Amino acid sequence: MAIPAPDKFKSAKEVSRPVHTFAIAKNGPIAYLGSSDFKVCAVDLSEAKPEVKDVHGEHLSYVTGVALSDTTLVSGAYDGKLVWWDIAANKLIRTTKDAHAKWIRKLAASPDGSRIASIADDMVCRLWDASTGKLVSELRGHQEKTPHGYGSMLYAVAFSPDGTLIVTGDKVGHVVVWDAKKGTQLASVEAPVMYTWDPVQRLHSIGGIRSVAISPDNATLAVGGMGKVGNIDHLEGKTRLELFDWKAGKALAEIQSDKFKGLVNRLAFAPDGSWLAGAGGAGEGFLSFWDVKQKKVIREEKVGNHIHDFAMSKAGSEIALVGHSKVIVFQVA
Amino acid sequence: MLKNFCGSPEHSVNRRAFLGSTLGTAAAMTGLNALAEPALAAELKKTQKRVILLWLAGGASQLETFDPKPGAATGGPFRAIPTDVPGTHISELMPQMAKRMKNTLVIRGLNTKIADHGGAAKIMMRGRRDEAGIRYPDLGAVMAREMARADSQVPDYVTFYTQTEGRGMAPGDPGFLGARFGPMELTTNNTPDFIRKLESVSDLDHKERADLRDLLSKQFVKGRSLGETLGSHNEAYERVRGIMASEKLFDINQEPEKVRDRYGKSQFGQQALIARRLVEAGVPFVRVGRAWWDSHGQNFETHAEMVPELDHVMTTLIDDLKERGLSNDVMIVTLAEFGRTPTINASLGRDHFASAWSMTMTGGKAKGGAVWGKSDPKGATIVDQEVNASSLFATIYSALGINPHKNYYLGSRPVPLVNPGTEVIEDVIA
Amino acid sequence: MRTLCLALAMTAFWLSPPVLAAADLPPASLAIFDVIDQQIDHVMKANDIKPAAQADDRTIIRRLSLDLIGSIPTLPEVEAYAASTDPQKRGKLVDRLIASPAYSRYQGAQFDVMLGYAGSGRNRGTGALRDYLVGAIAENRPWDRMFREMMLPNESEAKQKGAIEFLKPRIADQDRLTNDVSVNFFGVNVSCAQCHDHPLVKDWTQDHYFGMKSFLARTFEKNGVIGEQPSGVVKFKPNKGPEKTAKMMFLTGTIVEEGNQGSPIEKPKPGKNPPKEKPGDKVAPSAPSFSARAKLVDVALQPENADLIARSIVNRIWHRFLGYGLVAPLDQMHSENPASHPELLEWLARDMATHKYDLNRLVRGVVLSKTYSLSSKTDSESPPGAQYFAVAQLKPLTPLQLATSLKLATQDPATFHGLSPADLDKKIDAAEKSSRGLANLVAQPTDDFQIGVGEALVFSNSDILTREYLAEGKDSLLAKLKSEKDVKAGVELMVKSFLGRAPTPVESEALAAFVTKRSANPTEAYRQAMWALATCPEFRFNY
Repeated sequence: MAIPAPDKFKSAKEVSRPVHTFAIAKNGPIAYLGSSDFKVCAVDLSEAKPEVKDVHGEHLSYVTGVALSDTTLVSGAYDGKLVWWDIAANKLIRTTKDAHAKWIRKLAASPDGSRIASIADDMVCRLWDASTGKLVSELRGHQEKTPHGYGSMLYAVAFSPDGTLIVTGDKVGHVVVWDAKKGTQLASVEAPVMYTWDPVQRLHSIGGIRSVAISPDNATLAVGGMGKVGNIDHLEGKTRLELFDWKAGKALAEIQSDKFKGLVNRLAFAPDGSWLAGAGGAGEGFLSFWDVKQKKVIREEKVGNHIHDFAMSKAGSEIALVGHSKVIVFQVA
Repeated sequence: MLKNFCGSPEHSVNRRAFLGSTLGTAAAMTGLNALAEPALAAELKKTQKRVILLWLAGGASQLETFDPKPGAATGGPFRAIPTDVPGTHISELMPQMAKRMKNTLVIRGLNTKIADHGGAAKIMMRGRRDEAGIRYPDLGAVMAREMARADSQVPDYVTFYTQTEGRGMAPGDPGFLGARFGPMELTTNNTPDFIRKLESVSDLDHKERADLRDLLSKQFVKGRSLGETLGSHNEAYERVRGIMASEKLFDINQEPEKVRDRYGKSQFGQQALIARRLVEAGVPFVRVGRAWWDSHGQNFETHAEMVPELDHVMTTLIDDLKERGLSNDVMIVTLAEFGRTPTINASLGRDHFASAWSMTMTGGKAKGGAVWGKSDPKGATIVDQEVNASSLFATIYSALGINPHKNYYLGSRPVPLVNPGTEVIEDVIA
Repeated sequence: MRTLCLALAMTAFWLSPPVLAAADLPPASLAIFDVIDQQIDHVMKANDIKPAAQADDRTIIRRLSLDLIGSIPTLPEVEAYAASTDPQKRGKLVDRLIASPAYSRYQGAQFDVMLGYAGSGRNRGTGALRDYLVGAIAENRPWDRMFREMMLPNESEAKQKGAIEFLKPRIADQDRLTNDVSVNFFGVNVSCAQCHDHPLVKDWTQDHYFGMKSFLARTFEKNGVIGEQPSGVVKFKPNKGPEKTAKMMFLTGTIVEEGNQGSPIEKPKPGKNPPKEKPGDKVAPSAPSFSARAKLVDVALQPENADLIARSIVNRIWHRFLGYGLVAPLDQMHSENPASHPELLEWLARDMATHKYDLNRLVRGVVLSKTYSLSSKTDSESPPGAQYFAVAQLKPLTPLQLATSLKLATQDPATFHGLSPADLDKKIDAAEKSSRGLANLVAQPTDDFQIGVGEALVFSNSDILTREYLAEGKDSLLAKLKSEKDVKAGVELMVKSFLGRAPTPVESEALAAFVTKRSANPTEAYRQAMWALATCPEFRFNY
């Protein structure tokens, strides 16, 4: 089946929520959500009027990452715990209590479902065996402190579509590409513009790399965040995308939006790599598509919510977005 | 004849002691010739309380510091941790303070109504709004007035505010107390302006020309009544060399490396260390402005970055003062214009909020371990023991051994230190 | 049409003690300075107080020069005045000073300090309001007309340009406006009465506060122009009782009744997107058929109420020259705070009102009195209170006076010799203009003023003095002194230039020793000696 062009996507459904949704994992009609009410829930988006139902409330804080491996649903939260849940039997498999020493920011499942990657502000990316829950490897390549002496954050993680690579990106703009199997560093690039430190007016920082993605041919690395900003107490910098030939260590493009301000919180390539989708926001939200080869934006769509995450279907014909107060489904008609 | 407004017996004692020969004019009381009286001097020295105000400019979030509401819909992602005071929890972002809450008074019941930076900063530095006809002195000026020694070789009121954001909204202000009690404002660097002799003037010239000045002054003063203004002029020059000598107090390199490392390399830490040096040398009031907490966007990221620093600096100060035996005499205050909203906006920020927020006092006669004021489970309103700016200041003064109901005089008009009818929260005074 | 009826409601709320009958006052035909001296003398005698001696000529010319034109006299002027045997010399000096352009510049600046809006950190003594005031003083415009022009500015009239800056910055805060008008024009600070009847002053109730506010509350500012709504009332909640609608009431209790007063005033809300300016938008809306603000001016100037404005301006002028008000503080003119010399205040107020509010007439009268020219020195162990005016008050120099005077003192006195008044004024003007830098580092004096250590540090350790005042350029005193072989002569010239008098033997010796010790570098020696003169109290104060 041909991959749909970006202009074919239309907003199909919206589900309002009284809480903020930070993470989504979807493999079929049911989407699993991690939210600010500390819960993991599920919603069948194929329904006409989808209803959100609780799955569990095992976490003690914001659930910022969810990942699916077959019938195992893994979630990670600010409580530093990983909760492994059997969605078929609807019961707890295990809890990894001290998965991370600090707040977990995101989870990602490897494309073959064998591994779960978790990142947290302890600046470590951990790889877990999806079926046993055992720790497989630790990826340490990010500084614990920013160059200005403050605790840093590890915001972004993604597997390459073929599962051989993992990418991590942090607050100060450092991106590392890893060999997913061996757990070794292959290369790193820098995107420092996305980190704004203000020593004069407000003496703190904002921004950071919030999303990473690798093209299906493993050649292009996409990094998302926010451009330079004057008033760091608002997300008023332009949304920013940087493209790298990571193997050569070369920067390919810097694309900032004239239409949208804020963070690019999630990136994903089309299954055939013909376009790159990204979403995020500030006071409002957006869903955008870029042509990576041409290094330009194809489509920029305003969505009514600051988007924190999305899930793209394997065929690339559906994008389910979650954000500040909604779940929004974009589909190809 | 000007009407005499005074009435209280305490006031009459002070008038006798403090007013000099210009009794006929209802001049404002000053500390200028106070210490001519040895008994009073001894009294002041015994009770000289000092304040280090950690001014969390921009409005730090009480929900991410001293009044967390984990589990509330708007409580945010950070959890609460137990402290060394059973039943009291604070944000997980302050693990070191969690072990020092029994030295600290937390007031969680602040409802100060004004939520714009400028207006709120003025109120929270003074404990009241200015009236159209009166400019009130702020906390620093009052401390300078109450606690400064007339012959002091150190400045009386120092404020650090290095960042540019919000600086103009909260300058130090002596109000009607006058320039004598105005602040030494440190902005671009940590050493006062004009404290160092010009290179082009030799030390000998600097001294001997001052002697010349003194000689000329003596000639002038002969046969003229040494009123307030003339007196202050000479006193200002008398203090110059002493203030210049206090330059070393502002030099952080005077401290051993171990101590400097303890406070850390951050600007906040270094200025807190200088503040400790200053109060140790007898400076009554130092404000360290840590700007800028106004996290309208990305509140959690900002607080994750800034609160641990506050935690570290505050606890280092508390420990350091304790080790030096200064806990009874030096009070550390954390305060700001206001707190932040429970509601989280779309940029994951919190906005201005003056209806239910927190401040702390550590040291002096503030009752360690006490908590005053309770906010509802969401933190949207105060449900018990509400505190306004006026009663907050009455309580602060009381905890410093200052009678909040005493009067200053603006001409012949008595001006009480806090608004009439304000009550001290006695339960939080040790 | 609304009918207006003016109710002269003479309530029990007097703001002044019962007006003295003419028979109780000295005759109106007497000269101002004679009445002043008589009345001051009378009270002193009644209290067994001996006045100080008269100040000497050098002191008098210095005081007059500072008070009238805002800078010290040049040395040639001082020497000429001291040497003159003309019995009219003082009157002629006063006339010369009042006639000089520096007079209106300085008095205008002083009025600007009084009337200007003190926004945070604003440098006072500059700006459009000041320009208006300087222009008005230059033509000795009557005070009642200035009052009217500032309260009802007509921007299309060239002579009123800038007058609007009294109202404009205050309109956004109606309470501030109400109090500033009351304080500046009537000597009445009713701000406490906003929340409750004044706890200590029976004269001032909430009715008075809101009464005044009612005259002003309809005034608004939008897009830079001032307008006034034709109707609208102020409501307030008194301490006791239900909400009241305020009547327009002047401070004396005079009430202005109005048939249809309209609904409560709402401040025009600024829209989120202000409409784009159309051409002609900047023109002020025409005055409404009933202007509350105009009514305030009319009521204030009515003969039976004008006492307030007259006494207030008299008190202000008195305070400016004598350093202490007949009523103190300046904004507490009420029955429980009577003047130290009630008859004098009353007489001067009447004189002002009957002579068309002529400011220069009053100024001249004050500075020609013997009271004004008393010395500030006294033998007495405990000098009498300021309210007796038995000894001259020390007045700290304003920032502009200090910096300008320093500029003049550090110039070679020979450059002032034989100058025409116009050329002398040019030099003074140049000195004023080039001294803003230092002036900005010094605080504006207030009553009970204290000089902070910050000023001493600036003078001690800033390089501004060296760079701008103690440089050895052409025409500088320093250049002149450098080439003076006789140290004692050099010292004498230096002291005379700064202080207008010869040094005492002790001073001469100490200064000469200082300079001689540094003979290797005479420039630096004199420079540092001049520092001591620049910072000594005799230079810092108007005595």
